[in-house]
Amino acid sequence: MVMQIASSRRGGGLGAKLFEIDWLLPMLIFVIGLIGVAMIYSSTKGVWGAGATQHLTRLFIGSVLMIIIAVTDFRLWFGLAYPAYLAALLLLVLVEFFGVSVNGSQRWLNLYVTRIQPSEIMKLAVVLALARYYHDLPDWRVSKPLGIIGALIIIMLPAALVLRQPDLGTTLLIIAPGLIILFLAGVKWRIIGTGFVAAAIAVPLFYRFGLKDYQRERIWTFLDPSRDPSGAGYHITQSKIALGSGGVNGKGFMNGTQANLDYVPENRTDFIFTVIGEQFGLLGGIGIMALYLGVGVLCMSIALRVKNVFSKLMIAGITATFMLYVYINLAMVMGLAPVVGVPLPLISYGGTVMLVVLAGFGLILSAHVHRESDLPRGAGLLL
Amino acid sequence: MSERSDLDREFSRRSVILGIGGLSLFGVFGARLHHLQVKKGADYRTLSENNQFNFQIVVPDRGRILDRNGKPLATNRLDYRVVMIPERVEDIDLTLAQIGRHVTISEAQTARIKRDIKRNRSFTPILIEDHLSWEQFAALNLDLPELPGVIPQSGQTRQYPASGEFSHLIGYVGKPGQAALDEDKSPLLRQPTFQIGKTGVEANEDKRLRGSSGRLKVEVNALGRVVREFPSDSDAAKTGEDVSLTIDAKLQSETAKAFGDESGGAVVMDVITGELRVLLSMPTFDANLFVSGLTQADMDKMNSDEKRPQFNKVIGGGYPPASTLKMVVAMAGLEAGLIAPQETIMCTGKTDLGRRTFHCWKRRGHGQMNLHEAIKNSCDTYFYKMIERIGIDRVKSMGLRMGLGQVFDIGISGQTPGLLPDDAWKRARLNDAWRTGDSYNASIGQGFVLATPLQLAVMAARIANGSQAVTPHIVIGEDAPNFAQLDVNLDHLKIVQHAMFGVCEEPGGTAYKPGALGFDGVQMAGKTGTGQVRGISAAERAVRVRRNEELPWKYRDHSIFVGYAPYDNPRFAASCLVEHGGSGARKAAEMVRGMLRGALASDGFAQRSDDAAPEKL
Repeated sequence: MVMQIASSRRGGGLGAKLFEIDWLLPMLIFVIGLIGVAMIYSSTKGVWGAGATQHLTRLFIGSVLMIIIAVTDFRLWFGLAYPAYLAALLLLVLVEFFGVSVNGSQRWLNLYVTRIQPSEIMKLAVVLALARYYHDLPDWRVSKPLGIIGALIIIMLPAALVLRQPDLGTTLLIIAPGLIILFLAGVKWRIIGTGFVAAAIAVPLFYRFGLKDYQRERIWTFLDPSRDPSGAGYHITQSKIALGSGGVNGKGFMNGTQANLDYVPENRTDFIFTVIGEQFGLLGGIGIMALYLGVGVLCMSIALRVKNVFSKLMIAGITATFMLYVYINLAMVMGLAPVVGVPLPLISYGGTVMLVVLAGFGLILSAHVHRESDLPRGAGLLL
Repeated sequence: MSERSDLDREFSRRSVILGIGGLSLFGVFGARLHHLQVKKGADYRTLSENNQFNFQIVVPDRGRILDRNGKPLATNRLDYRVVMIPERVEDIDLTLAQIGRHVTISEAQTARIKRDIKRNRSFTPILIEDHLSWEQFAALNLDLPELPGVIPQSGQTRQYPASGEFSHLIGYVGKPGQAALDEDKSPLLRQPTFQIGKTGVEANEDKRLRGSSGRLKVEVNALGRVVREFPSDSDAAKTGEDVSLTIDAKLQSETAKAFGDESGGAVVMDVITGELRVLLSMPTFDANLFVSGLTQADMDKMNSDEKRPQFNKVIGGGYPPASTLKMVVAMAGLEAGLIAPQETIMCTGKTDLGRRTFHCWKRRGHGQMNLHEAIKNSCDTYFYKMIERIGIDRVKSMGLRMGLGQVFDIGISGQTPGLLPDDAWKRARLNDAWRTGDSYNASIGQGFVLATPLQLAVMAARIANGSQAVTPHIVIGEDAPNFAQLDVNLDHLKIVQHAMFGVCEEPGGTAYKPGALGFDGVQMAGKTGTGQVRGISAAERAVRVRRNEELPWKYRDHSIFVGYAPYDNPRFAASCLVEHGGSGARKAAEMVRGMLRGALASDGFAQRSDDAAPEKL
């Protein structure tokens, strides 16, 4: 009986695969995306063409892409892990030489048809590469120096390139999920502890030599917003006013004054949570957080159910990336962290992030759909 | 395989650890939201409303200035201007350049704008340019979406009659100066469109004219642009009071016309109430230029004019009163009992004092002169003799009672007290004793004595009134004027009045022109004065004293006349001083006649029948 069901799954008719998708997750994601459409609509004072329509279109296209990825044979993605990583790395190098500067940082690559942000693609590629790396790494080597160094190289190569752009937010979103994968791969606590000590030494050095002036200024402004009430501190102050003035129940949909009168800058993109907080208050804010939490829990429950190392670590990495977006963005908007320019995924206006996030969820769903397929170990790397 | 299952277990365990970590982070965010939205929610709501709502100061319309008949002399007209709020402007230079496509902004203006930006707080609107045309205003409005922080406004600005004969009197308005800003901290003064009285009635009555500011509740966006207005939550501005003047605009305009190109001052004063019907300084200027911003060319032109149009001569110019002072000398002598009205003095045309010789204006002399004749003929010799008896101190005392040597509270600033000299003054000022020669000069209103046309009019008014020391004023107030008694002997005054009557109405008088006012039974009294502005050397006198027409303008005599009418029941006194206008009998006497005629006509005196109705002939 069990074998029969398994074989029918493996047989892989499209209908059967669609049936196998854990539909609760894509539905939750879609709801969050629709909330994003409504919030963008509100933050642009009720103009559809100023972002809401585009967001909705991207949500549809991205969702279709997500489902296509979900039903595509997982072994394809498994096989593409390293090539995707190398391609993304190449794009990052190209950005270094041919990139387009926007607001003083060189993040965009002009492909004539459209402009893409290779650093966003790299977030996914790093996760795939690391998962593949641990999938092929002999288990006994996980906590050995060679195993750790290999993983760190995979993380730090793109991180260094992105930091040069400079883009502190994305750098964090490459390094942190990477380290989480290391952690979940089972690196010994002793080594992790040593890493923390090393970080405690390295961070001050990084602050001194690795950051640009404006990045240091952002950190200081965060620590003391009154330093620059009309400049960078203005974001934080106005953001807190918008949130705080929402109260418990909020001012009501389309009734946010802070956002509608343009007091909160970037309220369509990075600061869109202020629109939610102002219009729907504490209840709305907690509701949104609950939805994100639900996404995280669903993803991790899939990770616990799948069998192979690649799937587990990939799902964990993608989930970590997604949740880190949420955490960093919320901390920033609530004045708990510096303004680093990380969007609220699925809700903030922005094409690349939306597509990358939905593609990531497609991979998670695909891992779930194909959870029974065999993935050969040790074939991918020299180690 | 066991290692693999260990690692899988480790994965699950560590996932739970991360999950707990993630959950507690959401807890932190929830607590933070609770802190911001519930605990501090009220504070932030207030801040949000402060962001959202603003009270704009509404500049009140300035009250008008009217003449005695309600004719407006200072009014408001619609004016378009553009201001900017510096804190809302990203790039001042770029914005100014963009505005410059529609409105020319000179470099001096750019400098002024930048200075204003520096001096004011960044949310204070700064005036970029006013007096825009409707086309410029409309073009700017179209470009607004690209110009954050730039606000076009329409409002009121001041307008004066362009002919300018009221400019000295009414003054003009302008942006408040630093002194005014320091004195009054009201934000009203910091509005770019607000104007404050700078001179004249505009300055003196500024508090009344100003009105009080209103407040308009508005909703503004982050760019400072007004999104909505809430008229129901606003206080309207209170328009300033109208200020009515005692001035007769028609008479003042006619007087200015009669002045022509001449320079000087003229006054018509009600001898009973002290109201000034005319207070004119000539030449004058267009006060509108000062409101719209004077160009350097205008300024240079005004400053280089030898007739000094900006100088308010009628109250600020001290001139030798010349023979018009003779009434004061006569009154002083009569009061001291040192002049007997019928006593005669022989005038030979000159009087020796030590080595100096003092001349009468009539070279061959007047012959025997009593007081009446001496005033009527303006004989200098008579007064040389009398001042020796009277002394300068008595003249000063009488002069003060007659209104000379002092300033009056007329409602505008810029008066000079003139000068009634005495021994103490000369010692203090010139470190020299008072000499008889000084008295000789003073007796005919020359030498050190100085008086303004206004003071001369007051003197004439007091002589005419006889009982009250009338003082002049130009603003119609609530209080009826309450004058002090004129502390002189009425009998003596009658003698002087009659002599002044002789000047105008008896044959041989220096301004003899009987019945010239043109009203039935209305006669006038007056006194000529010819103010020398140069010494005549003995050498020149020996050959021939040059006639005025032969001299450059600035060396010619001042033509002075004071008078009042009707003689038997005085209503108006008038004075006129025409700078370098020749003898007093000429220009100034004609002016005073014309002014008195006009004042009486407007007060209901009927023109004489043979003038008004020729068909009766």
